[in-house]
Amino acid sequence: MKFETEESIIKHFLYPSAIIVSTEPCEITTILGSCVAVCIFDPVRALGGMNHYMLPLWNGNELESPKYGNVAIDKLISKILILGCKPRNLIAKVFGGSEVFSNQNNTQFHIGRGNIEIAMEILQDKKIPVVSSSLGGKFGRKIVFRTHTGEVRHLYIKNEHIRQ
Amino acid sequence: MPRSSQTSKKKEDAARKIRDYYVSREELSILNEKLVRLNQKLIDAEQMKSNFISNISNEIMNPFTSILGLSRNILEVKKENWKKVIAMVAMIHSEAFNLDFQLKNIFAAAKIEAGEIFPEISNVDVKSLILDIVDGFKYEARKKSLLIACSFSNQNKEKQYYFHSDAEKIGLIISNLLNNAIKFSKEKGKILLNIRVKADKLILSVQDFGKGISKKNQQIIFDRFNRTDSGISSVFRGHGLGLSINKAFIDILNGNCILMTATGKGTKFVVTLPRMEGEIEGITLEGNELFFKEDLF
Repeated sequence: MKFETEESIIKHFLYPSAIIVSTEPCEITTILGSCVAVCIFDPVRALGGMNHYMLPLWNGNELESPKYGNVAIDKLISKILILGCKPRNLIAKVFGGSEVFSNQNNTQFHIGRGNIEIAMEILQDKKIPVVSSSLGGKFGRKIVFRTHTGEVRHLYIKNEHIRQ
Repeated sequence: MPRSSQTSKKKEDAARKIRDYYVSREELSILNEKLVRLNQKLIDAEQMKSNFISNISNEIMNPFTSILGLSRNILEVKKENWKKVIAMVAMIHSEAFNLDFQLKNIFAAAKIEAGEIFPEISNVDVKSLILDIVDGFKYEARKKSLLIACSFSNQNKEKQYYFHSDAEKIGLIISNLLNNAIKFSKEKGKILLNIRVKADKLILSVQDFGKGISKKNQQIIFDRFNRTDSGISSVFRGHGLGLSINKAFIDILNGNCILMTATGKGTKFVVTLPRMEGEIEGITLEGNELFFKEDLF
């Protein structure tokens, strides 16, 4: 068995509208405001991946990019299934979707809530259980996901400006 | 309770119910309308997808066929006709240049759609990057006898034009804008490129004096596969990916794009990109923070 030291873990920063899936031990970090990140992990194969999307639904006009929840989640799952994982083994962890804009008088949009709803809907539809989550609220989050253990570390980011 | 007040309350209730009914009916009809529009969009998207494949195979096959044909002609040219070769080489270059440009766009779109695109930040020499691109379009501009005028200004009062950003993405953004400007310019026209480097932002503007964009088309030019004029008789080539790629790239680089246009007078795109750091400010990538047990999910 390969012994994994801290140094042998590849580190990635996940930017908005991107997806990372890794077969190697990998630590993916991302920063979330109203965006949502879905981490999918296969305990049997010990690998996983994460996406980071900004808006719930693709409008059919722009490029079909993982900026949109419905596109991003589908693509993440298919990228993991391509690696030979069984759909029934997958588990999901969902983070983000806070209302960081709520003090700016545009609460009627509820981007965060929309992002959370679409994640839950699609994951339920695909029968992937959401084993843990930290959603909503007023603060941004920093998420560190280890693709080989499925472990997620989570920190709130307070009084700091977040890009989204 | 007196009877009169009771009846007036009942009346109020009834009025409110009627009002609610109409409001909800109105809401429903608005929602319904939205649904119909969305359905139409989905049908259009499907249609565009199938158009896209036939468009793209044309875009790739036509240049290849002409490159092959022209190079065969060159091979068969007799010694006394050597002068003809230059014209043919120019045509080969133009076709190959176009093909290369289209392929770059197609690959960029594929990467964006796969979620594999990240900002790769370095200290970019903006001036030489832009001049290189303009130089590449030189022959395309010459075909229509266009003049491309570049002007640079630097607020940092430095001689060099360095800016922290993603060179490859800026390159493709400018190429797409320039390509459109050349495509929609009139013969013997002029294209103005203005690049301003500021301490915290980079402003790129590309202006042409061509046919402009109508109000209706301004809504859709950033949509993928959308070309303002399509059909077999179209004089303009391309697949309508350029501006949608630009939009995605500008999003990734946290910038914005303003469009100024008037039909018949020309178009001006102004792209503003903020200075980017390799890492997001204030957030280190090293896992040196303390994580407590309750932070584990």
